[in-house]
Amino acid sequence: MRALVETIVIGLGNPVLSDDAVGLRVVRCLAWRLRGVDGIEVRELYSGGIRLMEALVGFERAVIVDAIVTQGGRPGTVYSPAVGDLFETRNTHSTHDANLAVALEFGRLAGLRLPTEIRIWAVEALDVTSFSERLTVHVERAVPVVLDDVVRFLGVAAGACNGAST
Amino acid sequence: MKKRISINPITRLEGHGKIEIFLNEDGGVANAYLQVPELRGFEQFCLGRPAEEMPVITNRICGVCPEAHHMAATKALDRLFATDPPSAAKKLRELFYSAFYVTDHTTHFYALGGPDFIVGPDAPPAERNILGVIRKVGLDIGKEVIACRARNHHIIQMLGGRQIHPAAGMPGGWSKSITETERVEIEATARKNIEFSLFTLKIFDTIVWNNPAFRELVTGDTFLHRTYYMGTVDEQNRLNFYDGKIRVVDPDGSEFLKYDAAEYATHIAERVEPWTYLKFPFLRNPGWKGFVDGAKSGVYCATPLARLNVSDRLATPLAQEHFEKFCEAFGTKPAGGRRPPVHHRMATHWARLIELLYAAERMLELATDPEITSPEVRTLPHEVTGVGIGSVEAPRGTLIHHYVTDSKGMLEKVNLIVGTTNNHAAISMSIRKAAEELIRRGQMVEETVLNRIEMAFRLYDPCLSCATHALPGTMPLVVNFRDPAGAVVRSFRRDG
Repeated sequence: MRALVETIVIGLGNPVLSDDAVGLRVVRCLAWRLRGVDGIEVRELYSGGIRLMEALVGFERAVIVDAIVTQGGRPGTVYSPAVGDLFETRNTHSTHDANLAVALEFGRLAGLRLPTEIRIWAVEALDVTSFSERLTVHVERAVPVVLDDVVRFLGVAAGACNGAST
Repeated sequence: MKKRISINPITRLEGHGKIEIFLNEDGGVANAYLQVPELRGFEQFCLGRPAEEMPVITNRICGVCPEAHHMAATKALDRLFATDPPSAAKKLRELFYSAFYVTDHTTHFYALGGPDFIVGPDAPPAERNILGVIRKVGLDIGKEVIACRARNHHIIQMLGGRQIHPAAGMPGGWSKSITETERVEIEATARKNIEFSLFTLKIFDTIVWNNPAFRELVTGDTFLHRTYYMGTVDEQNRLNFYDGKIRVVDPDGSEFLKYDAAEYATHIAERVEPWTYLKFPFLRNPGWKGFVDGAKSGVYCATPLARLNVSDRLATPLAQEHFEKFCEAFGTKPAGGRRPPVHHRMATHWARLIELLYAAERMLELATDPEITSPEVRTLPHEVTGVGIGSVEAPRGTLIHHYVTDSKGMLEKVNLIVGTTNNHAAISMSIRKAAEELIRRGQMVEETVLNRIEMAFRLYDPCLSCATHALPGTMPLVVNFRDPAGAVVRSFRRDG
């Protein structure tokens, strides 16, 4: 079955850390909307870096949805940075892992088959340090915006989200 | 009046963390501290929930070591529900935990700590990562690292039910047994892990230990601290990640304490400083004397190096062989009692690789244990004691979960001492010492200071964030020099 799956959509986040869960919320809703659609795998992931790269192996195309914290960013703002932008943030200060840019290069050097197209959606978070299963209000409002963007990008006819928002 | 230098390596992918260096009037280093952000409200988040949810809630605290939280929580539930798991369940837990250790220590060495040595401590930051390791050692090593992670992640998923957030731990046991077919696969994986561990130790030997400059870095005084050490040992005082007594040795190597995890509060207290939300655990006796070395200071260290320092020997043959070589290399022979500890903190990288080999060998022992396929993996609980305390050795230190519940098992109190927390004081001391050697009269070579400070905290493999997955922002590394009034008078940054 895996051979038929060309696209992976990954929601990254900690499900119990407030806005950090926004990526997970988006893909839960997306999974509902894509029910019955072939060729797209939707997955929740709770760790980045090398593990994220490993999750991309074998797919032609990938979508990643995550929270982001930028200096002075307005909560709920939706960004769609190119992977190339992430290379500018490559650094070695990681205490536990490589960042995505390094991880992707690592995977390619090691001969792994990684997506030729990777699209990223990031939502500016307000609170990523409080344990809670709720998003803050502005981030909550961004969920359908990202969802529609991703569905448009995937180019599929998708149903409505129903009950996947909690 | 003090000046303050702020090193702020905030990109959320790597986790928040900031290093504060306070300069004295002469421009020397007065103090240095690692700061990390507080994750708020975990206790409140848990209160009122059934305690049996904790193994699957607490493993979401952190995307890096969920297996450790899952295991400590599961063991706390054993105590809370007064149930003793069957022998096969304990072995499955330890087998699962050993596979986790192999992946965690492998990742740290090749992606995080190892590049400082393999690529070189003064190499450009953008090269000191796993890509630099591949360029130095060869492409095959990258493939080996990926293969090692993949086969062990598969075992973790097989045993734990999920690859990242395991779900198999239950009070009184483990939720599933394994088939003979699965056992055979685990055995094959363990054998490959042993080969890989030995290969990795050889890399360390060839590239680090046989390089005079790198050896000097490991054995020199820059990264040396004489503190207490903590780790878990079995009944024969051998290293154990999963279970045993917590042993503390003093700076001379003599056994200072040995206690059950349930007694942790008798021996450990937590210091709060006004300038940070971090807590600094210390030994109640001798007590908190500040960020200082020595037998009179309650500062202790709980790392791979600490675990080797508290162990009389290792329980598996090849790891024991390498442990002896390690002790010999540092000249720590017993003199009338226990052997003295290795105080050179950079040796933690070597100690981590010996632990990697131990984990691989232990995995093989358990995979070939006749009992490992037993279907008897659960003892049903029948009572609620109201208190459950469990501990394991997380890769980055002794991890304790402490729960208090009502008579129905609903949580009323939660306290966690996580691996990195044990080392907060020691990390600050190492950063200070590294900075002291390099900053004189306010003068410093920017790159050298940054590199050495990074090395000082990276050797502890600190867990700086429980949300390590979020996409990076735009502030990789910023260093601000502040005048006595707090104004920034100089600033530089590293983008990697």
